[in-house]
Amino acid sequence: MRFSTIKYFFKESFTSLVRNRWMSLASIGAVASALIILGSFLLLSVNFDHILKDVESQVEITAYLEDSLDQDGISRLDKDLAVITGIKEIKFISKEVAIEEFKEQVGRELLEGIDNPLPNSFRIKVNDPHEVASIAEKIEKFSGIDEVKYGKGVVEKLFNIIHWVRVIGLIIMAVFAAVSIFIISNTIRLTVFARRREINIMKYIGATDWFVRWPFLIEGMVLGLIGSSLAIGVLAAAYNYLYITVKLNLPMISLLPKEYFYDYALGFLGIGMLIGAFGSSFSIKRFLNV
Amino acid sequence: MIEIYGVTKIYPGGQVALKDINLRISKGEFVFIVGPSGAGKSTLIKLLFREELPTRGQIFFGGKNITRFRPREIPYLRRRIGIVFQDFRLLPEKTVYENVSFAMEVVEASGRDIRKRVPHVLERVGLAHKAKARPSELSGGEQQRVALARALVNNPDILVADEPTGNLDPDTSWDIMGLLDDINKRGTTVVVASHARELVDSMKKRVLQLEQGSLVRDEERGVYSNEI
Ligand SMILES: Nc1ncnc2c1ncn2[C@@H]1O[C@H](COP(=O)(O)OP(=O)(O)OP(=O)(O)O)[C@@H](O)[C@H]1O
Ligand SMILES: [Mg+2]
Repeated sequence: MRFSTIKYFFKESFTSLVRNRWMSLASIGAVASALIILGSFLLLSVNFDHILKDVESQVEITAYLEDSLDQDGISRLDKDLAVITGIKEIKFISKEVAIEEFKEQVGRELLEGIDNPLPNSFRIKVNDPHEVASIAEKIEKFSGIDEVKYGKGVVEKLFNIIHWVRVIGLIIMAVFAAVSIFIISNTIRLTVFARRREINIMKYIGATDWFVRWPFLIEGMVLGLIGSSLAIGVLAAAYNYLYITVKLNLPMISLLPKEYFYDYALGFLGIGMLIGAFGSSFSIKRFLNV
Repeated sequence: MIEIYGVTKIYPGGQVALKDINLRISKGEFVFIVGPSGAGKSTLIKLLFREELPTRGQIFFGGKNITRFRPREIPYLRRRIGIVFQDFRLLPEKTVYENVSFAMEVVEASGRDIRKRVPHVLERVGLAHKAKARPSELSGGEQQRVALARALVNNPDILVADEPTGNLDPDTSWDIMGLLDDINKRGTTVVVASHARELVDSMKKRVLQLEQGSLVRDEERGVYSNEI
């Protein structure tokens, strides 16, 4: 493609952006709002994800051992358990350590003089939190194991919540992407309509379909880019504010550091451009008939 | 240059616009297509640049069967054909110069070629002094000259015009016909659909007469109508 042709495409796109400035502004605003909502949700869901991952990684299995098991039996069982795939770490907690921990938690005085009722146990970490249930089931079958606990129910519920957060997040994102595409395609449809004479003439002169399409595609992409830049600016300011506020007032909640945001910003520009291109090609296909 | 074999055109509504047309137009010819309203003149012109496809029959342009062209080949066919309409079809917000240079931008000509070629064709249609004017500031005849310049600027093999003088008064029509004749004398094949009886009669060119979709007369140095 010639440089003068590319120049022509950009000239045409910008002329039309300026000529329909109110419509252009409206669609930039609409795209920006759609992307701000989409971005807010994205930030919410990645932060929720981040917090839940924290919780997920803390999920562990406690396997209580039979009292009759002696030191040899314990080390043999430790080796046997280590063979199970998916286990990251096995830590032996003797009944003495366990009671110390318990005393720490409830207060030393309360338990003074009482016989230690706690059994020996293994504390087991797994690679994939989703496999906790099946690994716990396997562990339970070994002889010498009295009982296995892993926060049954809580873990499943947690995964259920994460799953639904992701599904709903994706649905909302899809809806907003579709809305943005619709708005841009409407704007481009107007410019296509305003320029149908010109397009008609171009086709009689021998313009290729792509030659006719490019200015509209560029126009759509520019609308998407400006809209997403605007959204990024607004979101960055808002997230920065939120991050500082949370850090000061709710230090136990760990939000993703704001540097993370910049990774998303680039993707956002890409999404904006894609939405613009998609919106205009949709319009071109339907209303340009080329 | 153009060969038409057994072409019939039936529009989707069932209207038969052309019936079994056979004809050949050679390079350098000047041809009038005449006939009453609804005879199929515009349809025949539209078939030449693939605005319409024939229902039956074949059309060859420069030895190539254009009825078999795929959609993406059509732009390249049209670059070899200059097209002029009754209603000029200029872009109102562009100047005369821009209306013509636009045609070269569309076929991706270089900036240098555009700057060289546009003034040359404007000169040829006698509008060099109006290059900066907008179509609304021009008379009908001048607007049609701009359309002619635009059709010529890419050096087409053939110029087709559908009632190019239909919106013009008799004097201006003579000017435009003179210009078309001039263009033809410089080697471009010209095909004109026209209602202008006196013009056709005086030009003494080849005349194709259509009646209800049939080619009823094909005469060298003909006149508009044989009747009376
Ligand atoms: N797109 C179309 N769809 C259906 N019928 C059409 C279409 N275009 C033309 N026709 C019909 O085909 C016939 C020939 O039309 P055409 O426009 O070729 O005539 P014409 O000779 O150019 O007439 P005029 O001198 O009035 O311009 C007419 O009966 C017309 O109604
Ligand atoms: Mg007609």
